Amino acid sequence: MRTRFKGLVAIAAVAALALTGCSTSGGGSSSSSSTEKKPFKVIAFTSGNQTPIGAWWVKAVTQKGKDLGWDLTMIQGDFDFQKMNPAVESAIGQGADAILDGYTDVASIGSIITAAKDAKIPIFAMDSATAPSDAFVVNITTNQQGIVDSTMGAFDKALGGLKGKNIMVIGHDPHPGIRLRASLAEKALIAAGANIAGGDIQKVKSPATGRTEALALVADYLTAHPGGLDAVWVGWDDAALGASKAVTEAGSKAKVTGVDATSEAIAEIQAGGAFLATIEQPWPKILDTVIADMTSYHKDGTLPAKNFEAVATTLVDASNAASITPSDKLQ
Amino acid sequence: MTTTSAPAKPGRFIGKMLLQGGTVVALIVLIGFFFAMRPDIFLTFTNVKNILFQVSILAIIAGAQTVVMVVGDFDLSLAATSSLSGAVAAALMLAGVPMWVAILIALAVGLLIGVVNGLLIAYLNLSAFVATLATMTSVIGLAYLVTAGTTLFSLPNEFNNLGQGKLFNVPLPVYIAIVISVILWTVLRFTTIGRSWHAVGGNAEVSRLSGVNVRRARLLAFAVAGLVAAIGGILLAARLGSASAVQGSDNLMFSVAAVFLGMTVIKSGQANLGGTMVGVSIIGVMSNGLNILGVNSYIQQVVTGLIIIAAVTLSSLKTRER
Repeated sequence: MRTRFKGLVAIAAVAALALTGCSTSGGGSSSSSSTEKKPFKVIAFTSGNQTPIGAWWVKAVTQKGKDLGWDLTMIQGDFDFQKMNPAVESAIGQGADAILDGYTDVASIGSIITAAKDAKIPIFAMDSATAPSDAFVVNITTNQQGIVDSTMGAFDKALGGLKGKNIMVIGHDPHPGIRLRASLAEKALIAAGANIAGGDIQKVKSPATGRTEALALVADYLTAHPGGLDAVWVGWDDAALGASKAVTEAGSKAKVTGVDATSEAIAEIQAGGAFLATIEQPWPKILDTVIADMTSYHKDGTLPAKNFEAVATTLVDASNAASITPSDKLQ
Repeated sequence: MTTTSAPAKPGRFIGKMLLQGGTVVALIVLIGFFFAMRPDIFLTFTNVKNILFQVSILAIIAGAQTVVMVVGDFDLSLAATSSLSGAVAAALMLAGVPMWVAILIALAVGLLIGVVNGLLIAYLNLSAFVATLATMTSVIGLAYLVTAGTTLFSLPNEFNNLGQGKLFNVPLPVYIAIVISVILWTVLRFTTIGRSWHAVGGNAEVSRLSGVNVRRARLLAFAVAGLVAAIGGILLAARLGSASAVQGSDNLMFSVAAVFLGMTVIKSGQANLGGTMVGVSIIGVMSNGLNILGVNSYIQQVVTGLIIIAAVTLSSLKTRER
């Protein structure tokens, strides 16, 4: 009887130890023996997988996850939050150690943030908000003020100063990054004494038709004000390409800047036409930093010291265009 | 018992006139309004050319939409078809295929999508809404595959000239849009198939009993629409010098709007090419005029929607009157 009791106690002790071992693997601070056995379970998601940078991100994260031996669930949202958010929440319900958000605005993923907080799973993010947010243990994005300063510098140099110059600002409100930098550009131009052409930020409604919308906006403005533009500041390259086409077709000497450093924009800059400059955002470097943060968390539960970082960008103009890797050709 | 016909009241006469010619009146009023606001700019050659250039591709796609709407259907996949055709032409040229071969293959792609739509709707009896919504979804996916999600550029200058070149200082797409519109108008008005389309759109059952091959007529309408939409997409790629999976996606909404606007122009309240071109002109004049006046693009969208509602209301009143 005593022997049988001892046996039951031993089985219970082994079972308890085994259960303890299982339950500690949810966070990053599990014992080394358990993490060696169980891969780091990561849910990665992006809504922007249909954009060139989003498509690169999906490939890069998948490859890095494979290299690091992660158990990775990749969810691609196609800008459809009604489809993406429940898919991510469902994956959270099945358990994970960490979540990686790429290029998905914090405002669009409220339900994911709540589900992750309830499940105590940290969200690591890149380019998912333009200001610090408690939603993420870290969010690394690019410095929007830096982008504006660089492009204003390019205009200043090309136009011989900004004071009294007529400059159009083209933005797109639904994208938080473009919205913020367009507003910063408007402020910078007003502070420098330039006139905002059209009186306000010109708004493109859809990124899908950004190029044709920007083309029509600038063409119509130049028809109404022949010679009335010195420059066009545009929040992203695709629309900037439409604006530069309108400038060229109207025979205007206005200069155009964009943001993104796409192949097409770089080719236009090299051609020496209206497209003056664009901005390269260091996405591969940012991804490496976020992955390093996740690896540290996996190793010993260390979380990043700051939950927001805005990194510097590079102005791409005729002097360095040849040496830049276009954002749509990232490997 | 005698009956006397009451003389028409002036109010009723004006109402009837507005009902008959509301869209044309709206176009004249818009032109007058913008001319009054900017007499130095609005009706200048440069600006009229600008408007024509901006609406030329929409005019082509709206022409395609008119054909299917004459038959009593509509095609939600037309803008996607045009994007895919532009993307196919661009991808082939970048792969080294000669320009005219690439264009012919891209046209064949548009035609094929039109035929698939026609088969689904005319022979498998799917509703036009469901069938073209489904093909639209697949076609957008195909366009992403063809472009690999990027924008294709560095197209041959010879190709870009189709969309950016000028003849007598008027952009080539304007001439192409006019030629296609005249061809479609001629087909719709003077050919057997055009009359069959009108007959099917009027009453499919009566047409069938009168000996019209309704299925073949509907199939042909979708095939022609796909082909014409492909021309629009190829021209858009040439005009922008690039092609992406979703470029020109707003042409779907505007093409349907243009046809609805045009339906109020003729007495029968049916889709018709002349009316569609009036509709396209309204959209172009409004967008250009509001841009010139510096009106916020969000307000422009609201105004566009309101004008479409007004046109559809007029159209339905006219149908009820019949």
